[in-house]
Amino acid sequence: MNGSASRTITIPHLGRVEGHGGIFLKIVDDRVVEVNLDIHEGSRFYERLLVGKNYLEVQGIITRVCAICSADHTVAALMALENALGLPETERVQRLRGLLLLGAAIESHALHVFALALPDYLGFDSVIAMSEKYPTEVASALQLKQLGNRVQELVGGRPVHPINPIVGGFGRLPSHRQLSALREELTGAIDSAMRFVDLAVTLELPGWSTNPTVFMALRPDDAVYRFRGLTLCTSRGEEYPAASYREVVQEYAVEHSHAKHAALASGGTYMVGALARLWLLGDRLGGRAREAYERLFPDGVQPNVLLNNWAQLVEIVHCLERGVALCDELVSVSETDRDAIEFEVRAGRGIAAIEVPRGILFHEYEIDDHGTVVAANIVTPTAQNLANVEDDLRAAAEALLLTGLPCGDAELQGNLEMVVRAYDPCISCSVHVVRVDS
Amino acid sequence: MTTGNTKPRVGIFGLTGCAGDQLQILNCEDELLWLAGTINIVDWVMVKSENDHSCRLDIAFVEGVVATELDLEMLRTIRARTTFLVALGTCAVWGGLPAMRNEIPKGVLDREVARAGDPTVLDAVEALPATHFVPFDFLLPGCPIERHEFLATVNSLLFGTVPELPAVPVCLECKTRENVCRVIEHDEVCCGAMTRGGCGARCPSHGVACGGCRGPVEEPHYDANATMFGDRGISWVDISARMRKFSAPVWMRMGLEGVIDHER
Repeated sequence: MNGSASRTITIPHLGRVEGHGGIFLKIVDDRVVEVNLDIHEGSRFYERLLVGKNYLEVQGIITRVCAICSADHTVAALMALENALGLPETERVQRLRGLLLLGAAIESHALHVFALALPDYLGFDSVIAMSEKYPTEVASALQLKQLGNRVQELVGGRPVHPINPIVGGFGRLPSHRQLSALREELTGAIDSAMRFVDLAVTLELPGWSTNPTVFMALRPDDAVYRFRGLTLCTSRGEEYPAASYREVVQEYAVEHSHAKHAALASGGTYMVGALARLWLLGDRLGGRAREAYERLFPDGVQPNVLLNNWAQLVEIVHCLERGVALCDELVSVSETDRDAIEFEVRAGRGIAAIEVPRGILFHEYEIDDHGTVVAANIVTPTAQNLANVEDDLRAAAEALLLTGLPCGDAELQGNLEMVVRAYDPCISCSVHVVRVDS
Repeated sequence: MTTGNTKPRVGIFGLTGCAGDQLQILNCEDELLWLAGTINIVDWVMVKSENDHSCRLDIAFVEGVVATELDLEMLRTIRARTTFLVALGTCAVWGGLPAMRNEIPKGVLDREVARAGDPTVLDAVEALPATHFVPFDFLLPGCPIERHEFLATVNSLLFGTVPELPAVPVCLECKTRENVCRVIEHDEVCCGAMTRGGCGARCPSHGVACGGCRGPVEEPHYDANATMFGDRGISWVDISARMRKFSAPVWMRMGLEGVIDHER
């Protein structure tokens, strides 16, 4: 190559992701000199909107930060508020919220893996086009997604923006008959999820997307694979109490994006999500999920973000199995219509951290003696991942150019889109915000 | 809508919002493949990577609020290329939750938010429903939309007509379900009497007061409702916060903010 060759890659609107985002890359002599993941979705200032509202309004507002993650925001908000009010979570409520999170994860992962990501690996522009050649697979994928929604409808009241979970418990509890029926459906779906594992092992993922990074996940206290825990742990061996997240995660504004970026205070960008969870906690998986994990990751978890799709597939199997166990636990105790504890309002500050499909979600609220929200802070998984996405885009583009294979704009664009998509970014979530320093 | 054997060309779009209404379309799992075979979805960025952004559209569905100049430009372009335009969800119809931010004075946003180093405030225009800017041919409220109402709309459009959707308040649907009243029995601010039904009174049926997510009925009688809640000892701040949540622009236009402040 003679002199300095400069080119730019612009993808104004990313397809098959939630929300509005684009990619801009400037390349000089096969080196990426500028990389922007542009987030141009409008801001909605939800944290600022909560200030001055009654704490009972929080869930109904904050669930609408994002539709796909609405059950996750609901559970995180209720846990943080109850924390602020000093309320305990009864065992039944804890299990039901756990079941709700599993339903949300099944729906979200199924939507992403089968409808948004898989078309890339099978060579289609959408799941609709894919259904002509793979009708059975698409039908079965939609059934899995629907089952995730059915769980959310039963526990949350509807598949998007749940209405049944409230501060202190639930409006109406599912009956034992409904839980038993759900249990059978979850059991029956495990085989069909495993058939996608059979399909996935036949697909070869490219290596140009490999880029070492730091993984972070929430570690449960018991040696089990769960979406709740009190300790943040990283692949560098660091450990922090989840409640100290403000010291661990540093958010900062960047000019090209409506969403903030984040880095670890100890240095470096990092990744949260299914791949991070498998890296840190994969050994804890049991049952068929363990089988899926061993088949899809025969050499252990590699730092290749495209593998996040297969990590989500492993988690679908885990969520189905865990859902069966939770249904069993829930029907083993006596049946009742309503479980909502009585309490007095008091001033306080509460933090909740949970693992949701895209990674760790933090919610924090401060309320006064009258139950009025004084301050709110939310850190979403996608906001935590954005800086890492840009780092991966840079690495992927340079690795592709180094291969010496023909690398036209169209190929490069398609491959870079796959990198972003593998993160399963939720752009609505990432721009919800503004922190108000009180 | 269709001419001869050609399937109608359809676009599905999201402005600023949570993408919940587009997700509800994807949540029609049993009907999705039928839908894809019956209509020709040529532009749907959330689901397809090969989209035609310039062809004429027979039908377009738009969700979300206009919160940026880019949103407005996109909306006007969609209107210009579309024969039958449907507003999808409460944000597009009434402004929904994002429009609540209009109540925060620009000066306050600049001071509190810009100080926190957030870049987003820079191009933040007022958030208003899509219906404020261009004419729509049909409105489908809901936060999110009800799946059966969306499917009924598509079905009717295929036959060249529009569906007859319930226009009664949630309160009526709640009565037919024989739920315990959240206002009378629990002294809660329930928006059921002011809110358009079609949801089957989902919230009160779960023992939770209606939040008003489907937007107002034709004559919401806000003042009479506010007085009723006030008589039960609920604070005006809490009453107005709940009642205007999903349709703040209407509330502001009707001057109700002043009434509440006066009473306060």
